[in-house]
Amino acid sequence: MTSLIAFFEGLGLEGVLALSAAYALCIASLLGFITVYAMFAIWMERKVAAHIQVRYGPMETGAWHGWAQSVADAVKLLFKEDLIPPEGNKFLFWIAPAVVFCGVFAGFIAIPFAEGMQIVDLHLGVFFIMAIASVEVIGVIMAGWASNSKYSLFGAVREAAQVVSYEIPAATALLVPILVVGSFRLGDFNAFQADHGWLVLYNPFLTVAALIYFISSLAGCKRAPFDLPEAESELVSGFHTEYSGMRFSFFFLEEYASMFVAAALTATLFFGGWNLFPWGGGWEPAPLAPVILISKIFFFIFVQMWLRWTLPRLRVDQVMAMGYKYLVPWAFVCLIGAAWFEYMGWGGLFS
Amino acid sequence: MEALEMYTVDPNDDVYTEELKLNLGPQHPSTHGVLRVELKVDGEIITASRCDIGYLHRCAEKIGENVTYLQFTPYTDRMDYLASMNNNLAWSLTVEKLLGVEAPERAQWIRVIVAELNRIASHLIAFGTYGIDIGANTPFFYAFRERESIMALLERPSGARMLYNYVHPGGVAHDIEDGWLEDVLAFCDEFEMRWKEYNTLLSHNAIFIGRTANIGVIPKDMALDYGLTGPVLRASGVSWDLRRDVPYLAPYDDLEFDVPVGEGTHGTLGDCWDRYWVRMREMMESIRIIRQACPRVPAGPFMDKAMNRMYKTPLKPEPGEAYMRCENPRGELGFYVVAEGGTSPIRCRTRAPSFCNLSVLDALLPGTMIADGVAIIGSLDIVLGEVDR
Repeated sequence: MTSLIAFFEGLGLEGVLALSAAYALCIASLLGFITVYAMFAIWMERKVAAHIQVRYGPMETGAWHGWAQSVADAVKLLFKEDLIPPEGNKFLFWIAPAVVFCGVFAGFIAIPFAEGMQIVDLHLGVFFIMAIASVEVIGVIMAGWASNSKYSLFGAVREAAQVVSYEIPAATALLVPILVVGSFRLGDFNAFQADHGWLVLYNPFLTVAALIYFISSLAGCKRAPFDLPEAESELVSGFHTEYSGMRFSFFFLEEYASMFVAAALTATLFFGGWNLFPWGGGWEPAPLAPVILISKIFFFIFVQMWLRWTLPRLRVDQVMAMGYKYLVPWAFVCLIGAAWFEYMGWGGLFS
Repeated sequence: MEALEMYTVDPNDDVYTEELKLNLGPQHPSTHGVLRVELKVDGEIITASRCDIGYLHRCAEKIGENVTYLQFTPYTDRMDYLASMNNNLAWSLTVEKLLGVEAPERAQWIRVIVAELNRIASHLIAFGTYGIDIGANTPFFYAFRERESIMALLERPSGARMLYNYVHPGGVAHDIEDGWLEDVLAFCDEFEMRWKEYNTLLSHNAIFIGRTANIGVIPKDMALDYGLTGPVLRASGVSWDLRRDVPYLAPYDDLEFDVPVGEGTHGTLGDCWDRYWVRMREMMESIRIIRQACPRVPAGPFMDKAMNRMYKTPLKPEPGEAYMRCENPRGELGFYVVAEGGTSPIRCRTRAPSFCNLSVLDALLPGTMIADGVAIIGSLDIVLGEVDR
């Protein structure tokens, strides 16, 4: 970011102008990245689902394995009629997809793809992503309320209950690597893991914490087996039942974007970030860093898809029971255990 | 129901809670057709339910009084459209009973094979859609792959993939071609392998068991009181199968097969998982029956000579009445016909298993959660074409 501002200042722009130009460029490129990524992820989801379900998935659109299917879908969604339920709250209905999308979108600015390749290098990066991702819930409740549909309302209430509950184990599990590294800054995690190896192997508590975080992040992204807010067989499509066209596609974008953020946090905090090997690194050529990180992110996205197309869905009370009875206590056990290990000075597997 | 008493409903308060009326269906992903259930829900908990049926009513029984005996066969296809062979069979047996004739031996054995194949296909749909109800989409595609093989097999003698109109009064419509029986046996071998796959994917999945065990429990007495039949009855621990207890086709006497009953493996006897598991095991029993039946299909005519004239001049049975019931995939399907000498019956009545099994739904739903309600509807495995007729 600083370098971008310097670049624009070099072009002759002064203070605020340079800052605005730099931010505009960042936001535009991020939007472009998310859109292209979401299109790819949707195509990938279809292909993964298809191959798990002994079929081919899209094969015709575009020449090779239906690669253009998502593009075609996006065009279709753009041209679709934008229906607003006449009895619903028009303003909330209109703004809900934007609120949902903004929350996740903002999370992207703190993700470091390589040393310095990050929009804002926040000292509280992890905290920021966790906090800003919660904004999504407000949008979902808005959508559910404004749709004036009972199914939408059910979906929204489920989402609120689920996401709020699962933020506790997720945040607690994230505190474990934060405690070990001693920083909230995402870049520090990469540096630490370059020296000490992947945190997931650092001590047993971190391994469990990684698992807890991954499960909680599934619930946070409304992915199966926690896809209750949009449980198709019960609630038709939950909170976005009444949405169509572009507004619907924003919910879609949001889902895939939040999967990316969750996978990025998992990869950066537990699985070495841009360090290729579990025993550490720091020697990989710098241009490879984003490639390594993004491959890891896509691996976790693949796991999310794999689980979705394999597992049945939990019931609402089972989701809550799992969160509060198993994940929360175990997350605290991990936190205390990791603190004990740190206090005793027992280092990691590769340090 | 304890949770219900926690809330007070006082409309004079500024903020108060009340029950919500939720319409499940008729257009809903998991009502298996056009069933409409009016639910009263308190949060996620169902407090009252009322089934509303009739959206698919096509006056099939009235039509039966206006067409000839043979012409009614294709209408039976469209009742339980997932088990057309079994419906045809029940109707044909009723007419045969009315006329006092019996199909030739070859036809009887062919009937057993096609009926059992259709039973597997029907249970496959039950298995696949139940997975979707619980939230697992993949088993559905696996089930449809095998169902496709069955449809291809049944297409060869009947010419149709789903609504066969194959079993006719007096025999079967066409003879089977050479090599068909070998292909059926080959399918049996393949299916056995696939069946194990289903179990690893869904049956023994912890989440699936958690969602279905102890849910929608139908005790033995309740099952008998409501007149439930088929897998729903057997899952409650009642060993009653017409194929074994009242063999309506001669070959069933000679064949060796078990009647799976519910055992309460993962919870209470008669819960959703038991119903599911009874269906799964019944598929394997059907495979066993087909394996035994295929080599024993005798040579000979496939249609009763005397009955063949029905195709030229409509049949006029002597005045009388007949009731015949068959073990369909969903339970006992019965046809009751009264003849008064004309070319069509003056009364034609169907005892539809789905209709009777659905009657228990309103008793099961209150006190469960919405997601359980979906699981219960799915576990009863109803076909609305048969409920409404």
